[in-house]
Amino acid sequence: MTRAKKLYFEDFVPGLVRELDGPTLTRDEIVEFASRYDPQYFHVDEVAAKDSPFGGLVASGWQTVAITMRLICDAYLVEAVSHGSPGVDEVRWTRPVRPGDRLKLRMTVLEAKPSRSKPDRGTVLHRWEVFNQHGELVMHMQGYGMFARRPT
Amino acid sequence: MIKYWFEDFTPGWTFENGPRTLTAEEIVAFAREWDPQHFHTDPERARASPFGGLIASGWQTAAVAMRLMCDGYLLETSCVGSPGIDELRFLKPVYPGNPLRFRSTVLDAAASKTKPNRGTVTFRWEVINQNGEVVLSMIGKQLFLRRPAA
Repeated sequence: MTRAKKLYFEDFVPGLVRELDGPTLTRDEIVEFASRYDPQYFHVDEVAAKDSPFGGLVASGWQTVAITMRLICDAYLVEAVSHGSPGVDEVRWTRPVRPGDRLKLRMTVLEAKPSRSKPDRGTVLHRWEVFNQHGELVMHMQGYGMFARRPT
Repeated sequence: MIKYWFEDFTPGWTFENGPRTLTAEEIVAFAREWDPQHFHTDPERARASPFGGLIASGWQTAAVAMRLMCDGYLLETSCVGSPGIDELRFLKPVYPGNPLRFRSTVLDAAASKTKPNRGTVTFRWEVINQNGEVVLSMIGKQLFLRRPAA
């Protein structure tokens, strides 16, 4: 069986930047996601949301995070030899995401450190930024991922 | 109907609910949509992974926490959104059938200096499995409107 080219720890070089086009969110997608996971009225009720501080329906911040994760998977993660992630820091929802917004993801490798205790892997720190169609930052976060080192 | 306002969330306040259990089908369905890494989508290949079997996407565990929070109390509060999350940690794998409980603890509450009708509450949110182990932990901030003067 052949698989696509695999990505290893060594492929994540600090300073590496990639930009990816994301989806355009529909009203129905926003309501469906929030109905399952985050049914606050300003995510699920278009009418009531008009009287919220947002002035209309907005996507759950977790949906923006989930979209980011999917873009990361498609861009590199499913091709990488990953040992999972210990966590994420500084998730910030800086602007509301509304129906019709077209999202874009920018990924930057901030740091790559070989493990001291496990010579077969290393930790990579990424910064992920999501922008809307106006170029405004709507969300950013920093996440750690553990990747296998390229076999010699 | 709003029952709880900014003033109700004082440091030390705690809330716990659950359990919520994820089936293998739910884990695979979520991961196919949002996080299609093989240890979340393919039970066969997951067995050979460092996790030894299918595990839930950490984002699904976070979503379980959010939903339990909503069902537990958030929908009855004056919450008007969240500026963000810090120190989100995926501490232990979540396997199909693990009963998950949600615990919320207020760490800090600060009235806004610029907007007199609201304040920011800082919480620790944890998801706990059947062995009492914390599987996910995060520090979240939310904005709440202040109780209107009677």
